[in-house]
Amino acid sequence: MKTSKCGPLIAWVTAILVTAVVLPLQSATVKSSGSETSATGWSVQVDQVDAGTLGLSYSFQVAIYENLVDELNKTKQFQQVFREGDHRASEVPNLLVLKTTVEKYTAGSETRRAVTTVSGATKLTVRSQLLTRDGKVVLERTVNGDVRFFGSNLRATHNLARNIAKTFKESSWPDSPGPTALLSVQP
Amino acid sequence: MDQPVVPRNQRNVRRFHRRAGMRLLVALIWCGLAAAAQNTTQQTASKPFSIPITHLLGFENAKSNCSGTLSIQDDFLQFQQNRKPGAQVKIGAVRDIFLGDESKQVGGLPMTLGKAAAPFGGGRVVSLFAHKKYDVLTLEYVDSDGGIHGAIFQLDKGQGDVVKHELTALGVISSHEDQSKHSAAEVKYENK
Repeated sequence: MKTSKCGPLIAWVTAILVTAVVLPLQSATVKSSGSETSATGWSVQVDQVDAGTLGLSYSFQVAIYENLVDELNKTKQFQQVFREGDHRASEVPNLLVLKTTVEKYTAGSETRRAVTTVSGATKLTVRSQLLTRDGKVVLERTVNGDVRFFGSNLRATHNLARNIAKTFKESSWPDSPGPTALLSVQP
Repeated sequence: MDQPVVPRNQRNVRRFHRRAGMRLLVALIWCGLAAAAQNTTQQTASKPFSIPITHLLGFENAKSNCSGTLSIQDDFLQFQQNRKPGAQVKIGAVRDIFLGDESKQVGGLPMTLGKAAAPFGGGRVVSLFAHKKYDVLTLEYVDSDGGIHGAIFQLDKGQGDVVKHELTALGVISSHEDQSKHSAAEVKYENK
């Protein structure tokens, strides 16, 4: 019986495809609990990212901020999405402020990822807080975003913003804004 | 003594002519240089600054990850994709500028697929050499409502400095220290 020479090659290609398709999907999933409800009564103002004392590049901070504005607009969960400094936000009655603080950052390398596959991942961990105007925390989550295989380092910021938006969408919300509707903090 | 005897008056006249000639020559050379310099200054003043660039994200009304031209025209910073109407921001609205760098794999998706399909780890060897350094230029600007925007551009190595100098010459402030390298090593940072 003849064994095909293409067998190992096919297995190899299949393994790569599985790695390329399944694992990014896995990294995109975020541990979150709560039922899916809309928070259409709220508007949100996205504040600039606080990198603390971490050596996070300014371009990464800007990329997270811009991607957050984009992703929150896409979810259509908020009536309006404002940027920091937008004076129209002061006229909106039900406004939440999104504060993002970087907690952990691992600088990766695209070349190292391409050569080794297992190392060189860019990883970001942030704490996202939704606060009312008077500083009460409505929602608080720790979210991860990374790029492990394909794509540039900045792609980690896109994945992170998408995960934050997804987390907010999957979290339980007070439907109509009110002083008694504030949720307990779930870190 | 067979040297011709020249009267003293005639010698003085010759000397005067020589000096006058030299002065005229110097004046002509100076005028020529001044005119050339003026011409160059006029040319640089009238020619708008323009540079090929890739817009990564954030510039209002511009598509992400697309190549185009960044130019400074009058009081505006304009990004124009090939033959399409450009997106522009007033230079006075730009609040901050930051220059960093990044090493990226070249070839995009086709190259990535090709490398993945190459047998016996050939793709990895290619990856080892198929990377290029770029300058990453980050701008922070405000829109008409006061909202803060950030825009990230990618340029060939060394070009970022040129754009930064042009913008700082026009009054844009750079409050962040330029980052020479952040992606070389896999470093972990933690806020506690």
